[in-house]
Amino acid sequence: MAKLIFLWLKCLVSCCIVEAVFEDQVGKFDWRQQYVGKIRFSHFDSHVQSSKKVLMATEKNVFAALNTRTGELFWRHVDKTGPEGNIDAFLLHGQDALLVVGNGRLLRSWDISVGGLNWEVVLDSGSFQSACLIGQQDTVKHVAVLKKTVISVHYLSNGHQKWIENLPESENIDYQALYSGGNGEVYVLGIVPHSHIAIVVYSMEDGEIIKQTSVEAPWLSNIQTSCAVVGQGMITCVDSLTMSLYTLDMHTQSKMTQIPLQSLGLEVTPHFHPVLVSHQPNAAHQPLSEFLLQLGPEHHLLLQLNSGQMVVLRDFKPALLASFATAGEKTVTAVMSPKNKTACSLSLFNAETGRRLLDTTQFLSIDPNVGKPESIYVQAFLKKDDSVSYRVLVQTEDHTLTFIHLPGRVMWTREEALSEVVTMEMVELPLTGTQAELEGEFGKKAAIQDGLLSMVLKRLSSQLILLQAWVSHLWKLFYDARKPRSQVKNEISIENLSRDEFNLQKMMVMVTASGKLFGIDSKTGSILWKQYLNNVPSNAAFKLMVQRTTAHFPHPPQCTLLIKDKDTGLATLHVFNPIFGKKSHITPPALTQPILQSLMLPLMDQDYAKVLLLIDDQYKVTAFPSSKNVLQQLQETASFIFFYLMDSSQGRLSGYRLRMDLSTEQIWEVIIPTEIQKVVTVKGKRSNEHVHSQGRVMGDRSVLYKYLNPNLLAVVTESTDVHQERSFIGILLIDGVTGRIIHEAVQRKAKGPVHVVHSENWVVYEYWSTKSRRNEFSVIELYEGMELYNSTVFSSLDRPHAPHVLQQSYIFPSAISAMEATLTEKGITSRHLLIGLPSGGILSLPKMFLDPRRPEIVSEQSREENLIPYAPELLIRTEWFINYNQSVSRVRGIHTAPSGLESTCLVVAYGLDIYQTRVYPSKQFDVLKDDYDYMLISSVLFALFFATMISKRLAEVKLLNRAWR
Amino acid sequence: MMHISSILLFIMYFAALVAVSWCFTDMETGPGAALFSPPNGGDRFKIEGRAIVPGLKTQDWVSSARVLVEGEEYVGFLRTDGSFTVNDVPSGSYVVEIVSPTFRFEPVRVDITSKGKMRARLVNYIKTSEVIRQPYPLQIRASGPHSYFMKRETWGWTDFLMNPMVMMMVLPLLIIVLLPKVVNTNDPEMRKEMEQSMNMLSPNPELPDVSELMTKLFSGSKGSSKTSSSSSSSKGPRPAVKRR
Repeated sequence: MAKLIFLWLKCLVSCCIVEAVFEDQVGKFDWRQQYVGKIRFSHFDSHVQSSKKVLMATEKNVFAALNTRTGELFWRHVDKTGPEGNIDAFLLHGQDALLVVGNGRLLRSWDISVGGLNWEVVLDSGSFQSACLIGQQDTVKHVAVLKKTVISVHYLSNGHQKWIENLPESENIDYQALYSGGNGEVYVLGIVPHSHIAIVVYSMEDGEIIKQTSVEAPWLSNIQTSCAVVGQGMITCVDSLTMSLYTLDMHTQSKMTQIPLQSLGLEVTPHFHPVLVSHQPNAAHQPLSEFLLQLGPEHHLLLQLNSGQMVVLRDFKPALLASFATAGEKTVTAVMSPKNKTACSLSLFNAETGRRLLDTTQFLSIDPNVGKPESIYVQAFLKKDDSVSYRVLVQTEDHTLTFIHLPGRVMWTREEALSEVVTMEMVELPLTGTQAELEGEFGKKAAIQDGLLSMVLKRLSSQLILLQAWVSHLWKLFYDARKPRSQVKNEISIENLSRDEFNLQKMMVMVTASGKLFGIDSKTGSILWKQYLNNVPSNAAFKLMVQRTTAHFPHPPQCTLLIKDKDTGLATLHVFNPIFGKKSHITPPALTQPILQSLMLPLMDQDYAKVLLLIDDQYKVTAFPSSKNVLQQLQETASFIFFYLMDSSQGRLSGYRLRMDLSTEQIWEVIIPTEIQKVVTVKGKRSNEHVHSQGRVMGDRSVLYKYLNPNLLAVVTESTDVHQERSFIGILLIDGVTGRIIHEAVQRKAKGPVHVVHSENWVVYEYWSTKSRRNEFSVIELYEGMELYNSTVFSSLDRPHAPHVLQQSYIFPSAISAMEATLTEKGITSRHLLIGLPSGGILSLPKMFLDPRRPEIVSEQSREENLIPYAPELLIRTEWFINYNQSVSRVRGIHTAPSGLESTCLVVAYGLDIYQTRVYPSKQFDVLKDDYDYMLISSVLFALFFATMISKRLAEVKLLNRAWR
Repeated sequence: MMHISSILLFIMYFAALVAVSWCFTDMETGPGAALFSPPNGGDRFKIEGRAIVPGLKTQDWVSSARVLVEGEEYVGFLRTDGSFTVNDVPSGSYVVEIVSPTFRFEPVRVDITSKGKMRARLVNYIKTSEVIRQPYPLQIRASGPHSYFMKRETWGWTDFLMNPMVMMMVLPLLIIVLLPKVVNTNDPEMRKEMEQSMNMLSPNPELPDVSELMTKLFSGSKGSSKTSSSSSSSKGPRPAVKRR
């Protein structure tokens, strides 16, 4: 029988080397969501009156244009990650968006209408300080960039440098700000902290220094945070120590004028650094003489500086946020003030008078568990009757963007926290009430004690329920068919979520770096619940575990998120229901010690929750849940519970065993000398993985048994020496229970980043070969040999024979960003590797291409085994891209989960974008394909039927005729 | 005097030439040669080129395309005319590829010496030191749109009829059914002729005449012939569907 299955499998494998998407499957079961990240700078496109674009430069080094009507992307440019792609400044002038990138390394100009690059120039080295547009006689043709030691001016049209000048005394003076009032002069403001301000005025034409002054300012330490230029070249600063505003006319004065805040009847909230915001609607003109002053977390003021006179136009208290916006000639101030805990009000005020504008107040509700508003970006526009109206983009603490139109209508929301998913799980949906009832019929123990009659009655009643459900389902189908499509679609909500017949629809629980949790329906991609944890440290590491699935009906499913501060090691647990997102009433144990390791045991408590063990730095073990039942079970099984700890700073990999009293003892230790190499990753196997076949049938009908050690760890090391001749990659296969080193391999002249997949009896890893300057794949497979030592159970303690190790390497013609293997319910389906490429494609590479038994010379036996002859280079075929043209940027991880169908594996790729699809590594062998030709089959059947009828009739006639003859 | 200076000039020129060629020869010594300056020190260079999509007027595709140098180590963007510059690249050897979800571009390897000499060549991952020169500044021509999808096997009448199995069964049938109608068998001369030819074909008179048997059989049972043809049609499409 086993052989038969093997043969069948072989057929399966041989007919499914090519796996691809069909064109009509586009969007049928896959979806993509594109994100940009948290906004750093944003401007509305005001070039065209009816423009629908909002441009944003984000902290993820993305520059994007969004449609303000729908919130969808027009275009998006994804730069390098890290400081080299960091966007330092964003200036918008008409059709051109100017970006300073990589700490002032590059200056780019984008055409915002199509999203193409106009030009890019390399700037001189030096850390970036400030950039501004320079206007002259009502036109803006230049941009100035201020660095630590130099200032350069470039043409807007082509980026060419007009002039570059060294700043005087740049070793003493810290130049920080730039200002241009539109009169052909460029002002550079520098500071010697706690001494004086230096002002250098350059001529725009040739870069000559026109004027150079220094002004005493012993109280000032930073210009960028506490000063702004207001009106006709008035520097205005605020100081919280002396509780004063200072003003200085750059053209005429040489001494600062002090205006005590008390004289205006104001005071600063203690320990708050006051902030000044000025507004320059057009770079060719002077800034407004009105400015905003923030004196406390909920205290904003609109002030006016008119010929040396400071006037308070309006005091906004309480006010969360305030911002300027310009429409045509009119400038307004938008102020957001809290109403109560769940609502905020937004209003517009005339910037010149401080008067509230009519019909501009709107209320928006704020979910208490989404975080406070952090910044607002206002798009003001003139209506037909010349009054000002506005739309506003609100960014909250949890990186949610909400775009609101005037009567408080939310036009769209974007969950930008999803641009940084850290970890995720796919949880099965619960059964519906009727399904659960049916299950209950067989599940209850009481059923055995019931008599025969009651059993029959129960059976009949449940059948009746089924019939009822079916009829109502039919009715619903009929009812839906009459409705237009758009109405039917958006019906999914938490209430009517239930498992489908093949368990293809699941709940994706996603954990993001900002500490926001999401529950997403895997079928449609709609967010069903979200939960913001506001006490998450910024450098937290997350581990998500499913403690109880939906299979234990009266008990709700339960997920546990371990949140660990990377610096201190202190951890907290968040226990929640993955279907509804609600925090569980179960109180997790308080963890006072730093946590080193966590592990899920297959043991369950009386409520079917799996036991989670947490090991702290005293090597003490905490169990969660820690009921009496659990503790008793733990005591019984303690001698079988082993775990490992990795200390990569000391290169120490050690194995421990649990004692009866929940303390631990060390049983083995492997030291990897940190002077030579450092441990990069330790990878075990996935616990939910099934291996169907114990071996492989060879060409001569003998069986080569796989070495299926569930405790095997793959340890990847990289050399500390990065010289390309001496660098190497090491891979160690260690038994996690005994510490026995099963295999050790070293790849010379190679370096990371290394991507590893460890599954079944194989390890696939990818590295960069410095010798040949290419990416290479290597595969290690472990086999027990021709006979199995103990076929019933695998024990690490009783395996005397070392496995046979086979290894082969291949060239891969691209870098990779993430790698994972497909996973199916029973492990019968052949495996594929899912590889995220930097180009945005997700490649589904059959594992049979990475098989160390691929022969160099084809023999009869290898042909019998369906082995592909060895070729050094693996090919990337675009037909193997499971996401066709739906590129996924910066893939950080790929999550695979089995579905109820053996042929189908659910795949979620996450990075900057999220992409969900299904893959069929061996094609859909257990369901009819969607191109199954019902028409043909039925027409052939009918044709046959009629043909037999007709021929029967003809035969009768013939017989009759013959009888008459 | 003039002579000496010209010789000197010649020597200098020669030296420069040697230097240039030396630059390239050390490139050719193979990829393992550690002659490239480390990335943090040394000069930075730029890789320039142009992506060409033949027969395309609008350049909307540039907003979704990027230039990747050695994976994502250096990133460049395309201008609206398809040209690109990747700035800030230290000397070394890089694979430059243009990634676009719509068009397919071949990658190119670009070598930059420590002096800033550029050279482009075909990417060959197996023989990494092989040099097949490409133009520099790069001219990368799209080789058409990506083919992401498999074609569905559609079922049409023509496919079915053109199937060799069907042809093999239908054609003889036609001949058998139609031929007796075309040739007038009632004409005695004709019959005689046919008999003669038959006798010539089958020298053994004891054997039953095959053709006669067949005509008898088929003209006798028209219905059964139809069944067989329709049953063949039910079998027909199965081999027509090619599976890999």
